[in-house]
Amino acid sequence: MVDNAQLIEDLSGIVGQGSVVSGENDIAAFAVDGKIPRAVAYPKNTPQVSGILRYANEKNLGVVPWGSGSKICMGNPPARLDLVVCTRRMNHMKDVDVANLTVTVEAGVKFLDIQARVATEEDRCYLPIEELTRQADEMICSDRSHSGCFLPIDAPYSCSATIGGVIAGNSSGPRRLLYTLPRDLILGIRFVAPTGEIIGSGGKTVKNVSGYDISKLMVGSAGSLGILCEMTLRLLPLPETMETLLFSFGAFSEASAFAEGILNTRLLPAAVEVINAGAFEYLGIDPATGFFPGAYVVAVALETFTAPAQRMRNELKARARSSGIPDPAVFGEDAHRLFWLGVSDLNPAAAQAHPRMLTLQMNYPISRWIDTVKFAVDTLTAAGIAHTLLVHAGSGVCGINLLTGAEEKTAASVQKLLDRCREFQGNLVVHRAPAELKPALPVWGSPGSDFPVMKRIKQMLDPKGIMSPGRYVGGL
Amino acid sequence: MNSSGGASIRPQIHFGCLGATLNPGGAHNTDGMPPGKPPREDTMDTQHLIERLQQIVGADNVLSSDMDLELYSYDSSLERARPDVVVLPGSTEEVSKIMALAHTEKIPILGRGSGTNLTGGTIPIRGGIVVHFSRMNRILEVDFANRTVTVEPGIITLDLQNQMAKHGFVYAPDPASQKVSTIGGNFGENSGGPHCLKYGTTTNHILGAEVVLNDGTVIRTGGKSQDNPGYDLTGLLVGSEGTLGLATKIILRLLKAPEAYKTMMAIFETIEDGANTVSEIIAEGIIPATLEMMDNIVMKAVEKTIKVGYPLDAACVLIIELDGMPDGMDEKAELIMQICRRNNVREVKVAKDEAERAVLWAGRKGAFGSVGQVRPSYLCCDGTVPRTRLPEVLAKVIQAGKKYNLPIGNVFHAGDGNLHPLIMFDDRNPDELHRVHQLSTEILNICVDAGGTISGEHGVGLEKLQETHLIFNEADLAYERKIKRAFDPEGLLNPGKMIPETAGPAR
Repeated sequence: MVDNAQLIEDLSGIVGQGSVVSGENDIAAFAVDGKIPRAVAYPKNTPQVSGILRYANEKNLGVVPWGSGSKICMGNPPARLDLVVCTRRMNHMKDVDVANLTVTVEAGVKFLDIQARVATEEDRCYLPIEELTRQADEMICSDRSHSGCFLPIDAPYSCSATIGGVIAGNSSGPRRLLYTLPRDLILGIRFVAPTGEIIGSGGKTVKNVSGYDISKLMVGSAGSLGILCEMTLRLLPLPETMETLLFSFGAFSEASAFAEGILNTRLLPAAVEVINAGAFEYLGIDPATGFFPGAYVVAVALETFTAPAQRMRNELKARARSSGIPDPAVFGEDAHRLFWLGVSDLNPAAAQAHPRMLTLQMNYPISRWIDTVKFAVDTLTAAGIAHTLLVHAGSGVCGINLLTGAEEKTAASVQKLLDRCREFQGNLVVHRAPAELKPALPVWGSPGSDFPVMKRIKQMLDPKGIMSPGRYVGGL
Repeated sequence: MNSSGGASIRPQIHFGCLGATLNPGGAHNTDGMPPGKPPREDTMDTQHLIERLQQIVGADNVLSSDMDLELYSYDSSLERARPDVVVLPGSTEEVSKIMALAHTEKIPILGRGSGTNLTGGTIPIRGGIVVHFSRMNRILEVDFANRTVTVEPGIITLDLQNQMAKHGFVYAPDPASQKVSTIGGNFGENSGGPHCLKYGTTTNHILGAEVVLNDGTVIRTGGKSQDNPGYDLTGLLVGSEGTLGLATKIILRLLKAPEAYKTMMAIFETIEDGANTVSEIIAEGIIPATLEMMDNIVMKAVEKTIKVGYPLDAACVLIIELDGMPDGMDEKAELIMQICRRNNVREVKVAKDEAERAVLWAGRKGAFGSVGQVRPSYLCCDGTVPRTRLPEVLAKVIQAGKKYNLPIGNVFHAGDGNLHPLIMFDDRNPDELHRVHQLSTEILNICVDAGGTISGEHGVGLEKLQETHLIFNEADLAYERKIKRAFDPEGLLNPGKMIPETAGPAR
């Protein structure tokens, strides 16, 4: 194995002096599940990434890619770790084509910055513009369209995530109900394979059936099949109206019945989210809004033209009234943006208060959402585990943070939730947990009958197993 | 000739009335094997193979007469080659046994549906077993609560869509061949259609599948429950042209049917005006369900056969359809008509009811058929470009047609940049045929130069194998071959398709 001095020298030859660090503090900040890399490299472009992986493959070095680190807690602890490749310097928007409704960006571009870049000439943006101008004022360009666009991904950790991380995690949030998943929005990709080759697939067109759809393989592969360098994503025109209706309930049964009723109408809300009081606390909602949640809140996002939004608002209010539910609070425009930004950043907010919290994602068929979530609430309550709950009703996905509670009961409770999801061909993923607890937890849930194929793919494409060693599903 | 599976590289050609008389020669014709066809490695004689297959599916479901094999030797492309035997399985278990047999005996195997494939993807160029899914055509489970329907691969796309429509649900992908094509074929090809700008392609509507692997192992990918951890094998399998596995059950996403439609037809004096109208509609923040265009040559052809009332002296017609909640739709339609007028529209009509909507659509749906009436044959290219490059690319395409002295009619999905230049020719004229092939390659080059690609919705199959070199370098292709090997190390599944097996010409 190559020694540290040689490693730094060789890597410097690829990315340049000063773009490889190995000082104690520099590398400690890039620990993955407590494991500290020997060096961190900051390539500035795709050919440099290629050089790094060619070298790493030759020397058999364990590599973990790193964007902002917001989701680095996902996965098993690395089996080995020599090098972190940080995409921070790869932050160029290569092609912003709002007329074609596509952007092509490098992996290290901040998710927020893309939204700012494609906003309207008057700074009407999908996310709160105050947040954005601070970070991205150099990106306010003259070719923005007058109606504006947005990248229809509701990414968790919106405030810090890079687009590379969002795609590597196939990250989604409540508004996937209307906009679907990143895997459905990606049109093209360029990445470096574990053996160092630069691979391209897809392009700037919605339709493309020239070769295997490799973008799909890479989306959600969490750094196990190479390093994402560039991606082309679909944009949508900014909604004419953006507003949120917040309904308050005393019990999960009432909240879930109301949410289910909405899903069975012909209305097309962007999100129907059930949020418990434990989660609401961390959304940073200004008390001046005058909204105080009950034990559960149903938040309905409307993002469409003004006339259909108006009809939806009226029908939803009428539905509530006819069931004796108090009128909703209505958050328009900026309050709406801040609300959903808060939802996207629930996990880091909660983690500040509870650094040892566990983050789970349960998935199950849409029709099982009420009984599955109720089972989770009952199980956690019985075990005395305080938790936040974000239920993407209508998408079959629920995010849970286990904040406090008897730690020895945690693994057993997680296993119970997993078993429940598996009953309906669902699954459960532990997105975050203290490293020392991970061995006892089903970090990637329970593998399916397609796992042997995944293993064959991983072995074929990463024969030495250098990419995120052992971190992915089934220890791949 | 380099050995790209023995396929002569031709663009897909639809024959009008003369299709039946033309036989370009296949693997089992009198002229023997096409050049480059390697001998099969299997040793099992065909009679023994037939017997083994009969044991699996019953004697009635194995076809091997001369006429049967001839019937399975072609699809909607120009290529031809006969299989050794055709088998019609009735269950996943039978497919699994057939695959295991092919694997053990090293026999090439190819799954197919109705054979509407336009690029030769369903041609058994190495012979072997063709698995036809016509008997596996059931709807297995309708699950409106989960917005899914689970089907066998042999079901006809439109049959399924009509069934779902009765219940107020939509399976969105609607390739032009939907009356004949199967869901299994749509899965293999990642089929498109006119609704892709708004709704995406087939891959965006497939949630999971049961797949039989090369050795007969049955796996399930994806499922009704989304976000299952692990690689998105469903996404990789869709559009893999049957080269990675055979789907035996497919879980499809259903959408609630739109409450309302609004269909408009606008006639323009220049193609630029039509294309600018498309861009301005989208810049206004409106994503119509469809934006379909036809040029003068196609309009004339349509008028000769269907008579929908197109003016014969206009440059192009644009069909615009909105769908969704009816609230505010009239105002958006009015805005679109203003945009049309700003762009010098000659005439714009709004369909007042379902009958008028059908009339506006009749011309578009009949366009390909009508063109067949103008000249004996036509060739349909499938290049796709970023939508904003359409006007410039169309101009170059028309220019190229002049250079080769061939008429080109243009019917295209203007919303998603998918061109379908129809090169019209007489296949009895060898010189014309030669020029058609040159022109088609030139058109694909024009598309690639404009940042587009060689195929939007028809696939690579056999016919675009060489053109893959226009968009992929050798590293990309080597990577694809590795994926293929991970699934099918012996190269028995639909061999010779989609990825050129050897390096391309130096460029």
